[in-house]
Amino acid sequence: MDPTGLGLNATESRELEQRLQKRQMKEFMGLFSNLVDHCFMSCVDDFTSKSLSTRETGCITRCVQKQMALSQRLSERFAEHNAAMGAQPPK
Amino acid sequence: MSFLGFGRPQPSSAEKIAAVEAEMKLMSDMLNRLNRACAKKCTPNDYREGDLNKGESVCLDRCAAKFFDVHLKVSEQMQNEAQARGGAAGGGGFGLGA
Repeated sequence: MDPTGLGLNATESRELEQRLQKRQMKEFMGLFSNLVDHCFMSCVDDFTSKSLSTRETGCITRCVQKQMALSQRLSERFAEHNAAMGAQPPK
Repeated sequence: MSFLGFGRPQPSSAEKIAAVEAEMKLMSDMLNRLNRACAKKCTPNDYREGDLNKGESVCLDRCAAKFFDVHLKVSEQMQNEAQARGGAAGGGGFGLGA
């Protein structure tokens, strides 16, 4: 019911959940636009045609794939780090 | 003073929610910065392959560990600095999850 351990009541939990959902949405959009920017900047630098070349398309695919794998891996390390920090008594 | 309280005023709903939200924000900001920093340090931008290779994976793991270390070191140093400056701004702290 209350995963935060803060003793939130039902109304508060609902409020918090809504806010977190909004935040999650915002974060997802941020991730998406960062990815677009990053892969565009890394892969597209030839403007002699208005359509993406096969080379650019392939690069974009690999870029997205790699960035996903990368953030997946870093999230794992991040979670491990937080778990380790949480296990220590607070300073 | 309050019926069940032990002298400590209970935080209001808004305060509690704001606290959790702030914590979440702190976490996701840090994760974002970690991503950006280590992607920049460990992976080339030419995307000749879509998978992380062995070297990149190891680099990312080490990069993450160092990033956390730096985080801790900077936070400690800033706290010391603040304390040395009179300690008026004590508390706070930038340590995550501590």
